[in-house]
Amino acid sequence: MSLPPGKDNVCVSCEFEQNLGIIREIYFFSTMPLEIVKVLAYLCAREDFKAGDYLFQQGDDDGRAFYFVSGRAGLVCSEEDTDHVVRHVEEGEFLGGLSLLGNMPRLFSLKTLTDTTCLILTREKFKKAAERYPEIMPKIIQSVIKGIRDWERKFFLSHAMGCNDCRRNLGVSLI
Amino acid sequence: MEKAGPPVTKRSLYSWVFSDNYKLQILLVIIIIITVLIRVLPLEMQKRIVNEAINLRKIDLLFFYCGLYLAAVVVAGGLKYLINALQTLIGQRVSARMRKELYGHILTLPLGFFRKTQPGMVVSSLITELAAAGDFAGNAVAVPVTSILTLIAFAGYLVWLNPILGFVSLSIYPVVLFLLPLLQKRANTANKKRVDTTRDLASKIAESITGIHEIQSNGAFGIENRKYGDLVDKLMKIRIVWNLYRYGIKTSNNFFSSLSPFLIFILGGYLAINGRLELGALVAFLSAQEKLYDPWKELIEFYQAYQDSSVGYYRTMEYFDFEPEYALEPEDREPYQLEGSIEVKDLSFTVEGGIRLLDGITFSMKPGENLALVGFSGSGKSTLAQCLNQLYKYTGGHVWIGGKEVSELSKRDIVYNTGFVAQAPFIFSGTFEENLLYSCMARNRGSGTADRESLPTLDEMIEILQQTGIFVDVLRFGLNAFLVPDQDEELVYRIVRVREKFQRNFGEALADSVEFFDENKYLYYSNIFENITFGTPKREVFGEGKLLRSKYFRQFLEDVDLYKPLFDLGDELAKTVVDILGDLPPDEIFFEQSPIRPDELDGYKALVDRLRKRKHQEISSEDKEKLLALALRFTPGRHKIAPFSEMLENLILESRALFREKISDFDPEAVSFFRKSDYIYSQTLMNNILFGKTKTGAPHALEEIDRNIVQVLVEEDLLETVVKTGMQYQVGSKGDKLSGGQRQKLAIARTFLKAPPVLILDEATSALDNKSQARIQSVIETRWKGRATVIAVAHRLDTIKNFHRVAVLKAGKIVEIGPYDELMAGKGMLYELATGKR
Ligand SMILES: Nc1ncnc2c1ncn2[C@@H]1O[C@H](COP(=O)(O)OP(=O)(O)O)[C@@H](O)[C@H]1O
Ligand SMILES: [Mg+2]
Repeated sequence: MSLPPGKDNVCVSCEFEQNLGIIREIYFFSTMPLEIVKVLAYLCAREDFKAGDYLFQQGDDDGRAFYFVSGRAGLVCSEEDTDHVVRHVEEGEFLGGLSLLGNMPRLFSLKTLTDTTCLILTREKFKKAAERYPEIMPKIIQSVIKGIRDWERKFFLSHAMGCNDCRRNLGVSLI
Repeated sequence: MEKAGPPVTKRSLYSWVFSDNYKLQILLVIIIIITVLIRVLPLEMQKRIVNEAINLRKIDLLFFYCGLYLAAVVVAGGLKYLINALQTLIGQRVSARMRKELYGHILTLPLGFFRKTQPGMVVSSLITELAAAGDFAGNAVAVPVTSILTLIAFAGYLVWLNPILGFVSLSIYPVVLFLLPLLQKRANTANKKRVDTTRDLASKIAESITGIHEIQSNGAFGIENRKYGDLVDKLMKIRIVWNLYRYGIKTSNNFFSSLSPFLIFILGGYLAINGRLELGALVAFLSAQEKLYDPWKELIEFYQAYQDSSVGYYRTMEYFDFEPEYALEPEDREPYQLEGSIEVKDLSFTVEGGIRLLDGITFSMKPGENLALVGFSGSGKSTLAQCLNQLYKYTGGHVWIGGKEVSELSKRDIVYNTGFVAQAPFIFSGTFEENLLYSCMARNRGSGTADRESLPTLDEMIEILQQTGIFVDVLRFGLNAFLVPDQDEELVYRIVRVREKFQRNFGEALADSVEFFDENKYLYYSNIFENITFGTPKREVFGEGKLLRSKYFRQFLEDVDLYKPLFDLGDELAKTVVDILGDLPPDEIFFEQSPIRPDELDGYKALVDRLRKRKHQEISSEDKEKLLALALRFTPGRHKIAPFSEMLENLILESRALFREKISDFDPEAVSFFRKSDYIYSQTLMNNILFGKTKTGAPHALEEIDRNIVQVLVEEDLLETVVKTGMQYQVGSKGDKLSGGQRQKLAIARTFLKAPPVLILDEATSALDNKSQARIQSVIETRWKGRATVIAVAHRLDTIKNFHRVAVLKAGKIVEIGPYDELMAGKGMLYELATGKR
């Protein structure tokens, strides 16, 4: 763990410091000054789930962002009683940053496939932090914009070129 | 109770001086007159002591006059104090009255006013600015009356003593009276300039601080220093002029006042030498003359204070000088009991700058019907909702509720007949119950306990709590409450019984999410103190942290080698928490995982500062105690900010048995240990039922525990009791101890409880999860259908299918209105909104 020097007994089991290490690596928060990252790391909470638990369900506005400390989950889209697994979410992945920013009813459900531990930040806590440090919002917005653009570029390059139907529906980065 | 009169903002400063205080002011004047007369007495005594007693060598007269002299001085002193007391009383009464009336007035101002007003401005007006005006009102009669009467009395005495000398020594005051206002006017002009320049200077400083990056990156120190320097110089000059005038006033006043002894010496001396004046009279004359100076000075200071406070008073009142848009109470009648029909015709609402927020809105609803309002954000849904509810005064067209034009109804009519849940509802500090009853209480004129009977019963409240889906939350508040020893014997007994049942039924199933109290295990979700004592210090013996601070306990920690590691832990905790939370506002949410409570943060911040500067040995014993207390609060399962070593864990666990042994020897009554058969007062109801603590904050796990507890409580018929306890939960300022969803549910509940014929909900369920939203939706569709006319602004389109009709708003106009299915089939705006297709 890379911590500011000067602490003689760097702890092995202190959750806060582990969280700090994780948050600093997440692209969504990575541009923020250390004192704010510290607060966010402090506000996060770990939660354990059993295989088969739902982290959120389609339509919920749970307002939480997840980092997968361990375990895997499937992103599920339900249509008329049938569930399609859209993709898998793996250890080390972060998702749900957007729902920290405002109301965002889920378009998918997230269901664990194995026993899972997540680091969770809630909208309520994030908003309190953002109230205290208004300067983080422009940075977050920049991260979001970059995320959307990167996503669409990747999608464009890897699929949409070869698929007419996809091409017609492109343009998230133009909203 | 209110007298009709000019609005508070139009009242003159002097009107406060007498209103309400007539009797006090008259009493004051009487006392002043007596005091003034008594004050002249010593002068006469002085004269007689010299002339009669000393000159004629009469001891008895000397004693007699001296006695009178002393008595007069004592009585005058006492009365002076009484006068001051009365002044204070009047001044404070006026301040309080002004504050109350202005506050009452501000609360009724149109919402538009608050869009432009900073809360800080209102705060400083009510608290600071009116204080000076209040003080002034306390002095407004007393000071001038005292000063003028004293002046007249002394002047009269002087003239009575010797008319010629009297008139000569008084002759200087007209000169001062003429000169003074001239000087004062100039001083005032300079003072105003000073205020303006000071403000410029302040904003200049603020600008440089904000733009410090730019200044440093340009190296523009010279430029900025010059700009700042110019202002400082300007201010300096103005202040010099101002002060010169002020001292000018003082000096010329002093000068003229000291001229009069000079005149008296010349003239009086001449007369005395010629034997036309007794020596005693001259002495009396001189000291009486001297006494003119004080009342004179007070009068002048009063004049200055009057000027200052009236400027402040009128500026404040001007700022709030708007009229409420609606009458508060109906005139000469009871509030209407309207039926819930709504008729809106050509409604428009135009705000400053001619912007039309609503335009040509027309629709009507029969009683009991419901309507969903949808549209993009900014289309005017909230504005429409607020126009129907008198929150905004529409500028054109009509709204009739139950056949009455809304703009002509009084506020109370609206309060009786409509209920409104705002988009961002507000919760006030106080208990949950107070907030739940807020709308009902306000309807009953907020008279509180007096008409508790007309308020909803517990059963009605519980029903609403269930409908709005906040029942479980309140139950949880109840479960988190503490019972007070010797108060609820019956409940305590029953809870212990519930505990047994709970253990039997769910003990095993909940082993993952509950840490049961176990004498042989370290409890990660209890703090270190509880882990050492495995019990609760008894109030009578070691109450309120006394055990913690006792020498006995400290010695025990030393004996088991815990003192040093705990001290180090406290040190680390304090430093870490201050490092992370040091800059944060004292908001509950930031302190959930911190062993330091919000109100203690400043104290620990200062402590950490001291720790940095000092060596270990120099730490004061008070600070050591604070660090130790922090460590004893440390709960590894909750406070994830510091590591907890296995070594420390083992030490603590070992100390537990030892502690029990020793304390039982020392004082068997000192601690009540956690036993399955005893209620534990230091723990919440919940922990008492569990005989342990929950390990997790994870919603799904907590839900399961709740479900199980509810089951047992229902079986034991304890549910209502616990909910009743939960309603006493303090929700924190602005309700910040509730989650966003809880706040919204509470806001809906308090409006439902009032059960008005017209219900307006502005995105009232936006912060709720799907299940809660659906529950409230179904309450609207079943319980309120036919009983109340409901207008609901919807933020999601999947909730509106069952409404009688849907109105789609766009740029302040209704573009379509009709049943959901029809509109969808017509493929118009609603279809577009719902499917995102054109
Ligand atoms: N009193 C007011 N003065 C000026 N603008 C206002 C006022 N009230 C609302 N607005 C503006 O009117 C528009 C409509 O607001 P609103 O009714 O809240 O929309 P919606 O509820 O549909 O999202 C917004 O752009 C808002 O800023
Ligand atoms: Mg709105």
